Amino acid sequence: MTRGDRLVVAGVLALAALAWPATYLAAAGRADVAVVTGPGGTSQIALRPDRTLEIEGARGPLTLRVRDGAVSVLDAPCPDRLCVHQGQVCAAGAALVCVPNGVSVRVGGGSDALDAVIR
Amino acid sequence: MRSTPSSARSWAPRVVAVAGLLVALGAVLGLVESALLPPLPVPGVRIGIANIAVVFALALLGPRKALAVSVLRVVVVGIAAGTLGGPSLVLALAGALGAWAVMAALSTRGSRFSVVGWSVAGAAAHVVGQLIAASVLTGSPAPLLFAPVSLALALVCGLSVGLAARLLLLRLPLAVNVEVRGS
Repeated sequence: MTRGDRLVVAGVLALAALAWPATYLAAAGRADVAVVTGPGGTSQIALRPDRTLEIEGARGPLTLRVRDGAVSVLDAPCPDRLCVHQGQVCAAGAALVCVPNGVSVRVGGGSDALDAVIR
Repeated sequence: MRSTPSSARSWAPRVVAVAGLLVALGAVLGLVESALLPPLPVPGVRIGIANIAVVFALALLGPRKALAVSVLRVVVVGIAAGTLGGPSLVLALAGALGAWAVMAALSTRGSRFSVVGWSVAGAAAHVVGQLIAASVLTGSPAPLLFAPVSLALALVCGLSVGLAARLLLLRLPLAVNVEVRGS
């Protein structure tokens, strides 16, 4: 490894370390709501009480489950179902993403909060 | 041994053959990777073993041919996996172009960076490119929230791929009539 290589490694590490707190700042620290963005627009959902929700995605409806203050994708019409495998999230700044359906769910932050602060 | 730098000679048969081999190698590695390895729960993060083909192309053939190898590889994988035209292809292209741009920039800085540095920077740019593309596709900054985990994984993957590429470049009897850079 050359000196330049070590700089690159340090740079990527620094970027990851800086991005981590930024994700929490972007979520405004709230863990009781989630922002759902889909082809139909953006809406905010409360993470209580427990229930299941249908979100219209680009390829069909996604089923979201809200349970014990956490949200997960129960079922989705996409080929690899990565969004279902992402499991449930509850911490502010955590997110679920289904790219084929153009749907994302992120915990925390109101729809009026900052989009993201990545420095 | 250096090839004549004139454009007429730059796509000599041997160079075309090596570029084709690297496209095939990258496509197979990419398919094996998506078929055999379980998808990581982070969208946009592949371990990126296929990037070794692009690292090789940069070292043996230079930035412009490496771009051709990278884009063709994505297209071949898209055709084989049946994702041509879908969002997966957009993600793959965003990652590939991001990785290529950063690696090509480092590879033109003489010997300051080796293939290991290219590979690590390329892996990070691959992830960042994919997360930005995913943000655009979903119309939400949510994918960017995966950046910390993805970058950490990219560092590990980039290091492994870079070290493997360096070992191979130093040991393989390279039949290309060009200068090997970055080793």
